Amino acid sequence: MGKFWSLLFLLVPILGVACFAVAPWYKIWLPSDVSEHGHMIDHLFYFILWLTAVVFVITEVALFWFMWRYDGKGQYRTAKFTHGSHSLEIVWTIIPSAVLLFIAIYQMNAWADSKIRNPAAGPDGIFGTADDMPPMLEITARQFEWRLRYPGLQAKGKLGGDDDIFVVNDLHLPVNEEILLDLKSSDVLHSFFLPNMRVKQDAVPGMKIPVWFRATEVGSWDIVCAELCGWGHYKMKGRVTVESREDFDKWLEEKYREQTATQDTQPVGQGDTE
Amino acid sequence: MKNNVYRELQAMTCLALATVALAGCGGSDAPQFSANMVAIADAQVPVAQQQELANVLEAMYGTPDEPFVLNESQLDIKLIRAAAGPVRSDQFGRETGLYRRHCGHCHGTTGDGQGPTALVLNPYPRDYRQGKFKFKSTERAAKPTEYDLERIVREGVPGTAMPSFDLLPEPQIKALVEYVKYLSMRGQTEIDLINAISALGEDEQLDTSRAVLVDEILVPLSETWTTASEKIVQPDKPAAEPTSEEKLASIAKGRELFYGTAANCVKCHGPSALGDGQTNDYDDWTKPLVEMAQRLKDQQKSLNENPDIPAAERNQQEAQIAFAHEVLTNDALPPRNAIPRNLRQNVYRGGRRPVDIYRRISAGINGVPMPGVGPATPGAQGTLKPEEVWNLVDYVLSLPYEPASTPPRQEQLKFSQTQQY
Repeated sequence: MGKFWSLLFLLVPILGVACFAVAPWYKIWLPSDVSEHGHMIDHLFYFILWLTAVVFVITEVALFWFMWRYDGKGQYRTAKFTHGSHSLEIVWTIIPSAVLLFIAIYQMNAWADSKIRNPAAGPDGIFGTADDMPPMLEITARQFEWRLRYPGLQAKGKLGGDDDIFVVNDLHLPVNEEILLDLKSSDVLHSFFLPNMRVKQDAVPGMKIPVWFRATEVGSWDIVCAELCGWGHYKMKGRVTVESREDFDKWLEEKYREQTATQDTQPVGQGDTE
Repeated sequence: MKNNVYRELQAMTCLALATVALAGCGGSDAPQFSANMVAIADAQVPVAQQQELANVLEAMYGTPDEPFVLNESQLDIKLIRAAAGPVRSDQFGRETGLYRRHCGHCHGTTGDGQGPTALVLNPYPRDYRQGKFKFKSTERAAKPTEYDLERIVREGVPGTAMPSFDLLPEPQIKALVEYVKYLSMRGQTEIDLINAISALGEDEQLDTSRAVLVDEILVPLSETWTTASEKIVQPDKPAAEPTSEEKLASIAKGRELFYGTAANCVKCHGPSALGDGQTNDYDDWTKPLVEMAQRLKDQQKSLNENPDIPAAERNQQEAQIAFAHEVLTNDALPPRNAIPRNLRQNVYRGGRRPVDIYRRISAGINGVPMPGVGPATPGAQGTLKPEEVWNLVDYVLSLPYEPASTPPRQEQLKFSQTQQY
């Protein structure tokens, strides 16, 4: 019986690794990446995953070995107690510190690219000027939906005019263009998450937070809320559709036409059949 | 001794198992439609008649898990079944129980707008049972068209807790709309029946013959729904795209109308259009509650003031008052005032298209104090001409972009002076 427990504990690293190994077959691995900067995020993810995986397996195997080797049965030597080893403690403090420091420096560029080097802020990267890139749209998160506002067709990309176009939950974006959007919240904390673009940013009430990325593929994916925002959190599902510039412009024009309608177009058999 | 403990344990286990079995298989927790207790207490329907009422309603509409409709209701039972029942999906991923999945927690199983989350919302969720809907394309008192309800489900109601369900597949939205109609018809039938009961004499019984239930109650009711699309307010298209001067002139005219006596928007929406005019009114869902509470107060007062009322009569009246109070606390949400819209927020609950605003102004908003200034029926003479309604539309749509200080001081003063008379 004695060896049984150590074998049982050996299952932990084996099953732990197996879970990761079979995950892609069950399609529970990372969602497809359709953004320009996503590979950097994924690279960091894999780097840290491998690092922790190696340490995890070594630790677990060591634990197993000690359990196996020093099993209670047949061991009659008296245990020897020590007050620890100073040098060993220094080693196990310095190594993880060095690893953490390395990760902190190694990830800096990815962080700066997605959160600090705002494309709106002009060539100097920090201070804005009047001709800096205006946001393509404004997203206001609220319980429990995403309210989107695009600049009107005559406004030349400037938000806040009386021809702004209002859409809900149905985000459309042009492909292969720098997307800059302002993220706001009208009630509580939300988090704007585009899993396939590797974009995640909290929406904070009272703040206007810029978010930028570049989508590289045409298609449609999910928008989800990644911050528990209330009982209807699960309802905050939106859809992002990435399309060619022409299709995008056409869609925007269509939305504008709908919004400025002075007549209703109820489906035939329902409304006024002229 | 040990034996006793063992026996006790055994008995307890049996009891626990029996309870689980009862709860699990007995179906005792299947959701039921709740009765419109406010209307029942208001009409003082006797207990025996309440049971009769529940039976008639179940015969006509079924239960939340097993809905049923008569052909005369013109409702589609297939769509209703998809929306009704517990939240489930079959082996093909087809979802049923859509109403409980998406709507029930606010609008309630019965559609009474009293789901578990209703109390924390402002405004409260819609109570469908009166058959009144606010944001629609039809005349003030008419029912909404299916397209109107669909639009509300798709777009949500900005400025309220009603979110957008735009991403649901088309058939699911259709099913939900049909279910809302079903709940609304059921609720209105209930109110009609309660009214019929309260009109009965001392020892008369409710006539539950088909002639009464179907021909007198259901058919006229379903007709209000099927004829809704004949009552659409379709505005005359204004002349082609106006120039910016024309637009400014129209806005200026709309502004005059806003402060003028004919439209008198300023009365409720306030001299600064911030919705700070008259704010002490109630909507049609709340008014009965407030009136009932007032009536109870008066009744109690007259009881207190007349000591020579016989004891039997006094006890009966007191029991009635206590019951009605209980109903008002347990079966209704605390009353709130109907607050006029702040027109400077750039948030339009019923949609921001000019045609939506036109309909709000022309037909008014059903169930709330907002009156219509257009013709009450097609062809009739409205308070304002269509061009004038368009002027108001232009002005209202320009308000979010107008500095709040624009209303000249003398205009505000004029308003405060007229208010004093």
